[in-house]
Amino acid sequence: MKDSVKTNIPTLRKKKFLSLSEPYLFLLPALIIFGLFLYYPFLRTIFLSMFLTNKTGKAKIFVAFTANDNYLTLFKDPSFWSSVAVTFKFVIAVALGGLLVGLTSSLLTEKKYLGSSFSAAVYAMPIAIASAAASMAFKMILHPTNGLLNHLMGTQINFTGDSRYALASVVGLTIWLTSGINFIFISAGLRNVPGELYDSASVDGAGYWRKVFSVTLPSISPTLFFQIIINIIGAFQSFSQIKLLTEGGPGNTTNVMVWSIYKDAFRNFRFGAAAARSVILFLIVMVITIIQFRFEKKGVNY
Amino acid sequence: MHIATRKRRVLHNAGRFVLNMPLMLLILVPLLYTVSISVMPPDEIYGNHLIPTSVKFTNYIQAFTNPYYNFPRMIFNSFIVSTTVMLGQMVTCSLAAFAFSFLQFKGKKVLFIAVLATMMVPGEVTIIANYLTMAQWGWLDSYRALVFPFLTSAMGIFLLRQYYLTFAKELYEAAKLDGCSNIRFLASIVVPLSRPALGALGAYVFLNTWNQYMWPLLVTNSREFRTVQIGISMLYDIDAVSLGLMMAGVVIVIVPSLSIFVFMNKQLINGLMAGAVKG
Repeated sequence: MKDSVKTNIPTLRKKKFLSLSEPYLFLLPALIIFGLFLYYPFLRTIFLSMFLTNKTGKAKIFVAFTANDNYLTLFKDPSFWSSVAVTFKFVIAVALGGLLVGLTSSLLTEKKYLGSSFSAAVYAMPIAIASAAASMAFKMILHPTNGLLNHLMGTQINFTGDSRYALASVVGLTIWLTSGINFIFISAGLRNVPGELYDSASVDGAGYWRKVFSVTLPSISPTLFFQIIINIIGAFQSFSQIKLLTEGGPGNTTNVMVWSIYKDAFRNFRFGAAAARSVILFLIVMVITIIQFRFEKKGVNY
Repeated sequence: MHIATRKRRVLHNAGRFVLNMPLMLLILVPLLYTVSISVMPPDEIYGNHLIPTSVKFTNYIQAFTNPYYNFPRMIFNSFIVSTTVMLGQMVTCSLAAFAFSFLQFKGKKVLFIAVLATMMVPGEVTIIANYLTMAQWGWLDSYRALVFPFLTSAMGIFLLRQYYLTFAKELYEAAKLDGCSNIRFLASIVVPLSRPALGALGAYVFLNTWNQYMWPLLVTNSREFRTVQIGISMLYDIDAVSLGLMMAGVVIVIVPSLSIFVFMNKQLINGLMAGAVKG
């Protein structure tokens, strides 16, 4: 009898503790993964960016705010600024190009006609294709001697190896890759435009193009804005295309930021400098995300 | 009047049809061309043929049987890794989403924001530090390195939570009155009811993992642990002359991706839309 009373109190307490801690137990697996592979490496990247490192990535000499500061060195390095410029060129071209292809394909498949649903499936399809696989396919298309493009134009241009065409090549590939998601979101936006708007425009005698410019585009402008942001953030993260087609070259003409991070860390083993580049990339993406939040609250209609 | 509008509609659709063809071709050509090259004999590739005169599967047989590439092993690796990551995310995200939607606890809001905040950090930003962690732990060149960092996602937690929030609170309260534990309620009631959301998450995560390139490239070195996306680029590095072999590899790698796109289209697009909508 005595024994059972004695053991009861701790079990009760145990039970209460268990029910209080239970929600955290549910969260634990996710939080451990986030902690180990997101929060910790994020802080470690910031930490590393303040040091000179050895070949295995060990922080060796604290250089923040000294003459050897990784950020300062980057800012003084013209090749860093050229990489930033290339990145922005690449990102803007991809964001607008993707939007244009997405908008055109959405408008073309908006109404039902022979083959329109098949086309819709085709336009969405690139979402499923890996960037590495698409890069290899484009490598073949752009092949200097046996590729499709040269064959069609009757030329022998080394597209990925010529500084005049290299950036355009990776931009084209990336637009192809992102055309699917652009199509899906813009089509969804088009479906949400109230039919009455078109009806009243028709009554006013508006033709097709008039309706596109004064009804469709203003109505889907929030979607378009959102899609541009998605394109921008996605383009900033492009890697496979660069790695497989141009390796940042020729002459740094396709040296986008993610490629320069990769090169600094895994080719030159300058982990501190690469970490500093990562932090800068993070800040840029963060600013864009904040701009998105701001505008979303206000709404971009008109 | 009626006839005029009808005529105009037919005319518009005809216009759409005509404009649609070239754009659709532009999207399709990379794939069609890849397939075409993959079944060509070498002399036709170098003779710049666009369409093979006869279909040959030599490149596919080569891709599967050449012991030096060990492509079957890479396909196996990608399947194992993608499946494990998919199942892992289903479990961890269900658990976390359950806590965020059904349970009350201290710090719920802060923790939820901490989860959503992870969406702000592009994977490329943390990739160096993660690589160094893997090196320190001796995890390089292993399945662990390919799987563990991806076993949860804010997108998955958010997607499932949104779905759980549509369930009636009474359902949970009734189950509690009957003495049903939380974990049993989740496993036997919530999970079966949320099959559409889990399907969306699963299709999206499997495809994304299958398509990964940068992380597997960094953390694997030996042919034993390479995944397919690295494999197809290796086909080129090893032998740039075998363009047909390279294209056969691309086709093999794209088939599973396209199958998911065709057979789980709705789930995939739902997952994709949840993934892109931040916050």
